[in-house]
Amino acid sequence: MNRIRTIIWKELKQLKADPIMSRLIVVPVVLQMFVLGYAITTEVKNTTVTIMDKSDTPRSAELTQAIVHNPLFRYVGPSSSEARAREALDRGAAKIALVIPAEFASDLGRGLAAPVGLFVDGQDANSSTVAAGYVNAIIMGWSLEYLKRKLGGAGGRIESLLPIRVYPVILFNPMLKSTWYMVPALAVILVTMVTALLTGFSIVKEKEAGTLEQLMVTPLMPLQLVLGKVAPFIVIGLLELCAVLAFATLWFGIPFRGNFLTLMLFGLVYMASSLGIGILTSTIARTPQQVLFLTFFVMLFFLLLSGFFIPIENMPLWVQRVTYVNPLRYFMFVIREIFLKGSGLKELWRQGLAMAAIGVVMFTAALALFNRRVS
Amino acid sequence: MKLQRLWAVVHKEFRHIVRDWQTLIIVLAMPVALMFLYGYALDVNIKDVPVIVEDPSPSLESAAVIKAIDNSELFKVTGVVRVAVEPHELFRGKGVKAVFRFPYDFAARLRRPLDPPAIQVLIDGSDQNTGTIIRNAVEPFLRQAVLELLGKTVPPVIEVQQTVLYNPQQKSALFFVPGLMAMILMMISALLTALAVTREKELGTMEQLLVTPLSPAVIIVGKLLPYIILSAIDGLLVLGVGETVFGVRVRGSMLLLTGASFIYIFTALALGLLMSTIARKQEHALLMVLPITMLPTMLLSGFIFPLASLPVWLQALSSIVPATYFLQIIRGIILKGVGAQELWKPLAALSGMGLLLMAISIKKFKVRL
Repeated sequence: MNRIRTIIWKELKQLKADPIMSRLIVVPVVLQMFVLGYAITTEVKNTTVTIMDKSDTPRSAELTQAIVHNPLFRYVGPSSSEARAREALDRGAAKIALVIPAEFASDLGRGLAAPVGLFVDGQDANSSTVAAGYVNAIIMGWSLEYLKRKLGGAGGRIESLLPIRVYPVILFNPMLKSTWYMVPALAVILVTMVTALLTGFSIVKEKEAGTLEQLMVTPLMPLQLVLGKVAPFIVIGLLELCAVLAFATLWFGIPFRGNFLTLMLFGLVYMASSLGIGILTSTIARTPQQVLFLTFFVMLFFLLLSGFFIPIENMPLWVQRVTYVNPLRYFMFVIREIFLKGSGLKELWRQGLAMAAIGVVMFTAALALFNRRVS
Repeated sequence: MKLQRLWAVVHKEFRHIVRDWQTLIIVLAMPVALMFLYGYALDVNIKDVPVIVEDPSPSLESAAVIKAIDNSELFKVTGVVRVAVEPHELFRGKGVKAVFRFPYDFAARLRRPLDPPAIQVLIDGSDQNTGTIIRNAVEPFLRQAVLELLGKTVPPVIEVQQTVLYNPQQKSALFFVPGLMAMILMMISALLTALAVTREKELGTMEQLLVTPLSPAVIIVGKLLPYIILSAIDGLLVLGVGETVFGVRVRGSMLLLTGASFIYIFTALALGLLMSTIARKQEHALLMVLPITMLPTMLLSGFIFPLASLPVWLQALSSIVPATYFLQIIRGIILKGVGAQELWKPLAALSGMGLLLMAISIKKFKVRL
C-alpha cells in the first residue's frame, strides 16, 4: 500500500510540473462543454424553403403563409418557375421547394384532391425526413382547418370525420431540447478521453524517457506500479464528471433527477474500461503521437456504436450484437437515464454488471500485456 | 539539379512516414473502416421504435388498432398491459420510447361519432430526435388506422406529391462518404504535416537542413509533397470504396472534383504549416491540432450535424472552417452533379482561405528561419 502511495505521489508531482498535461485536463472540459454542447444537435431548425405559387389565389396564399411564418423554416423567397425552384435546391440556397400548381384553387373548389409538389433535398436522410414531416404536418393542419370551415358552412361537424382524438404528452424532456440528451452524454466522451489519453501519455512518456525500466527494477510489482499510476486519473475522471454535472445543470439548465452517488459509482465502474484502453494503447504505441491517434481511432468506433447520436435500435442486428461489448454503450445509456429519468440502481443494475464485466476483462488484459511488455 | 534536391527531401520525408508505420496504418485503415461502419451499420432512419400499449378493456377494435401499430414501420409493440399504475416506470432502464394509453370505453365510443375516444400517447422526449419523430407521426397514424378500421375516409383536400432529390433511397453512405473525404484529407494534410515539421524543429534537424545548399522553398515543398501524395491516395481510396461497395457514383465532373480536392489539400497544408510555426514542441502541436483541425471538420462543417440548426455564433464560426466549403463543393459534385456555375461561391471562399493561410504561414515561416 505504501509503495502504491509513493507512485501516486510521484504521479501527482509530475502532473503539477507539466503544464501541458494539466492543460489537457482543463481545456477539453471547457471546449467540449461550450462547443460540443451547442454543436451536437439533432434538432432540425431553420430549414431553408422556397415556394413556387402558380395558383396565386387567397387559398394558396393561406397555405404558403402557414409555412413562411412557421419558426421551424427560413423562407428564402419565391421561385418564379418550377425550374427555378429546382435550381435553388441545386445551388443549395434552399433545402425544400413547394410547388403549388395553377389549378390548386379550382381543384379545391370542386372537392378534388389538389396536388401539390414537394421537392426535398434528401442528401441528409435524417434531417430531410424530419423537415419534410414538418411540411406535411403543416399541410395536414391546413387541410383540416379547410374541411372544418367547409363543413361548418354546410352545418356539419368535423368530429364526424375524425373518429379519434390523440393527445401526445412528452415526458422527461418536454421542450424536446437536443442539449438535454447530448450534454450529459458528453461526460462519457470527456471521461474516456481524459482517463485513456492521460494514462496512455504518462506511461509512454516514461517509456520514451527510459524511466519505466528504472521503475521496473525497483521492488514495485507491475500491478502496484499500474495502480499507482492510474489512481490520480481516477480522481481526475470523477472530477470531470462533477464538472459536467455542474455545467449541465447550471449553464444549460438541464435537470439532474437522479442520485449523485449512483452517478459516481457508475463512473468508477466505467473507468476500469477507459483506463484499460489507456494502458492498452500505451503498450502498443511508442510515442505520444501514436497514443493520440490510437485513442482517437478507438474512440470514433466506440462512440459511433454507443448510441451517442444514432440510436442502437436502428442498427442491423449483427451490429447491435457488437455493441454489447462496447463499454461506452452502457455508460452512455446509464448517464442519460440517471440525468433525465432519475433511474437508480434498481433499474440499471444490468448495465452496471455488464460494464463491470467488460471493465474487469479489459483491465486484466491490459495488465497482462503491460506485464509482458515490460518484463 | 533543383529537382534532384527536391527528390532528396521528398525521399527523406517518405522514410520518416514509413518508419512510423503505426501512424501510417491508422491513417490508411481509418477511412476504410469508418466507411464500412457508416455505410453498413449506421442507418439514421428511425424505425421499429419499442412501444407499450395500455388497453384496460380489450376489444376487437382495440386489438385491430394495436395490430396496426405493430405492423407499422415506425413502431414495434413490445408489450400490452391492462393497467399501467405508474406509467413513468415503464420507461426506466428498458428503452421503451412511447406508451399508448387506450381508454376503457374505446370500442363503445368509436360507435358514437360525435363523442370520439381519446388516446393518450406518452412519449419519451429525452432523445429529442426520436421524440420529435414520434410526436409528429402518432396523430396522423392513429387517425388513419381508426379510419381504416371503420371503413371511412376523409374527403381529400391536398395530395402531397413528394420527390426526394439527390439521395432518393435515403442511404446514409451517400451523405457520409463526402464528409469522410473532408475529414481524412484534413487529417493527413494539416495534422500530419504540422506534427512532422514540429518534430524536425524540436530535434534541431530543421536547422541542419537549412544550412545545406537547399533553399527554404525546396525544403517546404519537399516536406509537403509526400503528404499531398498520401492525401491523394487516401482520397482515391475513399472514392473507390464508396463507388464499388456503396454505389456512391460521382455524378458531376471528375475534373472539378480533383481540382477542388487539391484546393482543399492546399488550404489544409497551409493550416498545418501555420500551426507548426506556432508550436515549438511536438506536445504543443499535439494539443493544438485536434481542436483546430479535427473537431471543426467533424462538428462545424455540416459533416454530421446540420449547420442550419446551430446557434448563430457557431454558424459564424463554421464559416471560417475550410471543410464547410469543401463539403458544399464535393456534395454538390458527387450527389447533385452540379458544376462550377452553381459552386463558384464556395470554390472562391475556399481558394481565398487557402491563399490567405499560405501567405501568412510562409511569412511566419521565414521570420522563424
